[in-house]
This record gives sequence, C-alpha cells and structure tokens, in this order.
Amino acid sequence: MILLTMIARITDGLPLAASLQEEDRAPNLQEYQSKAKQLFRRLNVSSPSRCSLESGPYIFHYLMDRGICYLILVEKNFSKRLAFAFLDDIQAEFVNQYGAKVESVTRPYHFIEFEQYIKKARKNYTDSRASRNLSQIGVELQDVQRIMVENMDEVLARGESLTALDDKASHLSSLSKKYRDDAAYLNLRSVYAKYAVFCIVLLLLFAYVYFKFLW
Amino acid sequence: MPFVAPTPPLPVGPMPRQMTSPPTLQQPQWSTASAQHRENSVNLLRDRQLLRTHGSEPIETVAPPPLGHSFPAEANCNPDVMSCTMNAVPATAELLRRSRLPLGLAMHPFKDLRSLAIIQANVIVRCRDCRAYINPFVRFSSQQRWRCSLCFLDNDLPEEFLYDPISQTYGDPSRRPEIRNGTVEFIATQEYSVRPPPPATYILALDVSQVLSPDPAVAKSATAYLTAVSQTLLRCLDRLPGDTRTQLAVITFNGVLHLYKLDGPRPSLLAMPDLDGDSDLPMPEGLLVTVAECRDAIVELLESLPELEFPAVPGCCLGSALAIAHRLAQSSGGRLLLFLASRPSVGPGALSGPAGSDSDDLAGQPATDYYKRLALDCCSAQLSVDLFCVGPGHTDLASVMPIAVYSSGRVHRYPHLPDDADRLASDLGRHLTRKLGLEAVLRVRCSNGYSVAAFYGSCFVRATDLAALPCASPDAGFAIQLAVGDGAGTAGASEPVVFQAALLYTGRKGERRIRVHTLGLPVATRIEDVFAGSDQRAIIGLLAQIGAERIITGASRLSDSRDALVNAAADPLAAYARATGQRGAGGLWSPPGIRLLPLLILALLKWPAFRPSVGQLDERAAALAEVNFFVGAAPVI
Repeated sequence: MILLTMIARITDGLPLAASLQEEDRAPNLQEYQSKAKQLFRRLNVSSPSRCSLESGPYIFHYLMDRGICYLILVEKNFSKRLAFAFLDDIQAEFVNQYGAKVESVTRPYHFIEFEQYIKKARKNYTDSRASRNLSQIGVELQDVQRIMVENMDEVLARGESLTALDDKASHLSSLSKKYRDDAAYLNLRSVYAKYAVFCIVLLLLFAYVYFKFLW
Repeated sequence: MPFVAPTPPLPVGPMPRQMTSPPTLQQPQWSTASAQHRENSVNLLRDRQLLRTHGSEPIETVAPPPLGHSFPAEANCNPDVMSCTMNAVPATAELLRRSRLPLGLAMHPFKDLRSLAIIQANVIVRCRDCRAYINPFVRFSSQQRWRCSLCFLDNDLPEEFLYDPISQTYGDPSRRPEIRNGTVEFIATQEYSVRPPPPATYILALDVSQVLSPDPAVAKSATAYLTAVSQTLLRCLDRLPGDTRTQLAVITFNGVLHLYKLDGPRPSLLAMPDLDGDSDLPMPEGLLVTVAECRDAIVELLESLPELEFPAVPGCCLGSALAIAHRLAQSSGGRLLLFLASRPSVGPGALSGPAGSDSDDLAGQPATDYYKRLALDCCSAQLSVDLFCVGPGHTDLASVMPIAVYSSGRVHRYPHLPDDADRLASDLGRHLTRKLGLEAVLRVRCSNGYSVAAFYGSCFVRATDLAALPCASPDAGFAIQLAVGDGAGTAGASEPVVFQAALLYTGRKGERRIRVHTLGLPVATRIEDVFAGSDQRAIIGLLAQIGAERIITGASRLSDSRDALVNAAADPLAAYARATGQRGAGGLWSPPGIRLLPLLILALLKWPAFRPSVGQLDERAAALAEVNFFVGAAPVI
C-alpha cells in the first residue's frame, strides 16, 4: 500500500504537492514526513536519479527528474516495479500539467490540487489485481536491479560525515601549506646565519689587511 | 447589529524614524488636574440626553490617543478589529483594582478588511525569545538589530528586511509594510504547516424527523426548511470557498441514518439502521465526493431533497449522525452544517427528561456532556460544526449547543419557519460563501508584566493564550481578559504597552497565512488617566461574553450573572466618585468614556440571554450562544 506521496523542488526543498493515505490502520506518518523533508534538502543533481531507501518497516522510493523529486513511502512487500511505474506515471502527468511553472513558485504546496490525480493513480496501482498491471508495464521499465537499495539513515548521516571530511581535508591542506612556508623561511634564515659568519670573518680580514698595508 | 465607531483622525505625515535616538511618547491629551476632570465628566442623574438621536447612531467610543510622531499613522490596528477596554493601561494591579473596571481586549481577528498588507518573505521576522512578530512599535538600535516591544530583547535583522518592496528602496527598515501597518498578513513558510493543506470539506446533516409529522403545520415548516436549504446550496454550489478538490457529503436522519452515495451518475440512498455499532462507513468511497467531479449527482439530490421519501422511523438520532460525519471528515477536517428540528431521542447522545421551567436558574446549562466531548473530538479532527435549529418545538438546544460552541461554530434559531425561510436562506448563503480559515489557531501576546487571564468566545481554549479554531469565521469575536503582574510599567512611562494577536490559518487555496494585529497603548500611572481612557464599547463586549460563558459552562447561575453585571456598572462609578473626591457632592458623576455603560448594561439585561424569564428555553440558549460568538452583539439602543 502506498502510504505517502510527496513531490518537491530540489533546489530549495520546497514541497509542491503531497498526498497522505489516512487509514485507521496506517501508522503515524509524522516522522516519515520529516525524514522525507530532510531527504529533499540533501538531494542534489549528482545524486542517483532513482533510488530506494529503507527506513524501519517501510521503504522510500524516489525518482528525480528536471529538478523535481517524486517520493513515495510503501510497505516492504510492495513490488518495486509497481512503485517505479507509479512514480513514472505521476512524473509524466505532473510535468505535463505544471512543468513550466515549477521554477517560479514560492509558497509551499502550490500545486496541492495535483493530489486528486495522485489519489486516482494510487487506486489503480494498489488494486489487488496487481499482477495484471505488472504484465502490462513490466516490459517498459528499466532494469530495477540496478537501482541501489540503501539505508535511509546512512544517507542522511553520510552527508554530514562527508562535509566533515571535506572540512578536515581543506584544513589539512592549508596547514601543510603553512608548514611548508615556515620551513622555507627557517631554511633561509639558517642559510643567512651560516653565510653571515663567513662574510664577517672575510670582512675583518680585509679590514686588517687594508689598515696594515695600505694606510 | 455591530457598531461602527467613528475614529478621530490620527496625525498624518509621519516623520522618518531616527535610528539612534529612542523616540519619545507624546503626553496623552487628557487633563492633568481633577478640576478639569469634573468639567469633562457627566452627571448621569441630571443629564438625560446622553444619546444624540434615537436608535441608529453608532455608540461613540474613545479612540486610543495618538502615540506621537515617532510612530507611523497606521501603527495601531483598526479599532473594529481589536480594541482595549482602557486606552491608557494601568501600570499596577493596585491601580486596576481601584478603578473597578475590567481590563481586556475585544477583537474580531478574522474580520473582512477593505485593505490589507500581504507580505511574502523568505523569513518571517520574530523575536527569538517571546516569538512576537515584528510590529510598528519596535525600535531599531542599528541597521542590523531591532528591539522587541514586548520583551525588550535585542534581535538580529535579516538582510532582506532593509529592502522595501513597495517603494523599491533600500536602506530604511522603517518603510517596510510590517513597520507601517498595525494589521499585516504573512504568507507562511514551510515550518508553519503540520500537514499538507486538506481539501475544503462541507458536510450537510439534515434532520427530517418532522417531515412525516401528523401535524400539518409542523410538516409544512419542515418541508419549507428543506426547500430553503437545498435552494441556497444549489445557488452557492459554485461559490463555495475552496479549490478544485472541494468535497461535499449529505446525511439525513430521523430515527435511522440515511447516507447518500454520490459518485455514480445518480444519487442513491443508503439507510443505516444500526446506530450503536462503531461508526464504520458502509462503503469507503462514494459518500464524500469532489464537487467538481460529481456535480450532476449532487444537483439531482439537492433538487429532489424536499420531496424525497424518507423511511418513516420516528425519533431523532443526532449522536449517530454526528459520529458518522466525524468519521467522514476525519482526515480532512472542514465544516459540518447541522440542521436540527427536534430533540435527539434515540441512539448515543439521546436526551430525555423534563423540559424544565424557563425561570429555573439552571436553565442555560447542558444536561449531558456527550456533545461537549464530541465537540472536542471534532476540534482535534479540525471539523467545525454550525448548528441551525429549525424546529418549532423544544429541541433542548442548551444541551446540544456545546457541539457548536467548542468547535468555533455558530448557532442560529428559526422558530417560525415558513415565514423565516428567507432569513434562513440568507444566513445560510452567508455561511457558505464567507471567507474560510481552516485549521486556525489564535494566540495573544502582551508586553512584559501583562498576561492573558482568560479567553472567551466560540473556540476551544488549548492554553490560556492559545485558542484552536477548526474554522475561523469573519463574524466571530473574542474577548480576552488581561491581568496586570509585577513587571508592568518597569520600562518607563514612555514605552507603549503592546498587545499582539496572531491568527494562523489555511486559506481557501490551501495556502497557510498568518494575520497579525498589533495594538500599542500608553501606560497610565494615575487613576484619573485610567478613567479618562476607558472605552464603553469594549467593556460591554467583554462583560457580555464573560456573562454568557459563565452561564453556558454552568459556572454561575443566571441570577448571579445578572447581579454581577449590575455591579459591573455600579462599582466603577463609585470608584470614580472616590477617586475624584466627589462623594456626597450630589448627582452621579461618570467619566465621559463610560457614560453610556449603565444604559448598555440595562439593555443587556433585557436581552433574551440574560432575561429572568423567556418564552422558550431554546430562545435563551440561542441568545447565549450568539452573545458568546459575537462580541458587540449588545442590542442597538
């Protein structure tokens, strides 16, 4: 069963549309909504365009296309092919209806009216006669085996550890540069010291000779 | 009828705010000597012509004094939107007690306004400690810092605040619309939404128990109300506030519950005989449908509603109807329009017992708390219930009324129906097409030293200063009683006392908005200034709502409320005489601001809500609910 559907803009994480499956048996979706919002903020153009993330007893599947991310939360036994077929379906329809206006909106949930289409599509895809759907759409899908399955928490934490690593690396490079400059400076000073002694001795000798023989 | 008070013009052409020197407050314009006070005050025993003309002139009110040229001309919100009972707020609790006047605010936070500044910003500037919104009374200590006018804490100013979108200039934050206007509306950012905006949902619950009554007059009135309702709904169907996802459901009930499946080409009726079972819906889809998609079926149902053949089961199962409606609207919230024609007699929430005599002191209180508990459930599901009482007989409105009172709904009563059908149609039309504020919360903040003591109005009070309104109405009014604490007036006589009310709601297009009203008033340290600034319009509104609330909740009997209202008029006059040393001088002296207060209290005591005996108990209950809903509903004299 598809529990949660969210569509957001990648550049700033602004939610554009959403649909919640409110059922007596469904769990409290608040924490999954907040995880979804955090995920939207972490994604950027270099993230994989299709991915599945495990989180507790449920799985997030998302699809990124043209700066918009389409995300659903499903139970673990929900077929992956169906999930991505559903995502393709809503992606095509959303771009068809609102594609041109996405960049210019500023208020959250601007396209909330799209929820009606999401509800209808959800009804089609969660129908118990799913095997019929599968055979119809199976040939069109890409090979879902190539889509990575990862753990949600690791993705959220990865961002943090990567930035920490990045900071440390840049700090290290600046420190080493400073070290190199200091070492060169010390080197130079010791050269001066060495040659200074020699020059002074030479100068004294020259002065002695000068005053002795040429005066 | 609501008052429209004329306000004297405030000084125009504000001078630009100084960045570094703190602005000073102009001294209030009232007299400082008590002799001059005696000239301004009114001898109520001698001067009988207190009203200039008869009837329709609006009651005069004392407007807040101009706060000086350092604050912009529009710094205070419109007095029709929010006003304080005293225009010079007492600095100590002792001063307030000596004056015997109530200190409070009377407000209509969601009133329809002709012009409103709407601000769309990436970040909404708020104080980091007390969370007050930036307002015209803040001081800028530098280009990047501002001092909150409520808790006097310094805060940072974001870069984008220095740009004024209206005049397209950069550099002076005091030109921004938030600083120039006392009432602004922000388009809320993501953090203010708990869930995606739900579709606007309207559920109609109609009592048809009187349609098959043997008495022809009763049957005729029942048919008349069904005709009026269906005609109005057909007329307003395209103007219902909401976007394309707007949903509608229809329920009718007499002794059994009838649900209507609307998602086919034709509507079909389902009767649900089992009332006490748990309220599972007979089918998951088809009962609550999108108006845009199923319009034909809805129109056909509404057109045929007055002549429909209902299963003839006597009784009225209101509790089950409410439970089903709550179940339908559980995920989206919305509005339930409930039409009640007879006393609920079967199913959960059935009321029994004698009607009681109408002069009984306990006549305003509910017989059961089933409806109050159901109202709180509706509130948590963000469902607001409006109650229309359309029966000619006794419907025990006092017991059913809490369902509307605690879920921010309104109660109407039409006892003489075929004649009142036009009034029903126009009221219902206003109800359906007025502005919508779903999932609303209202919070009031005050300067240091002042706090909210109690909240009155048709809402669910979650905390002392926070009220939950499943659907905010432009007609609703609230009264807030304030208390003066220890820290009041410590900032000095030149700092205004600021009250701010913020209403967070979801608009008709699903956007989350915050409407903020700010009121700044000078501090009074002397009793004469307190009396000179008292405002009878706000005082009578506050007293009326307090009185109605006490009777509805059962906290006091009718006779005690009446005595309290009379004392509320007599005590300030006695305190005034003591304060200005006129005791025994002959005559009854009153400060000009409250000279009409005794007259208004007398008029209030004649209102059906507070009259010692009314013809029907339901009339008192409906009047109490109306006073509770709408501040300023005191009758026109």
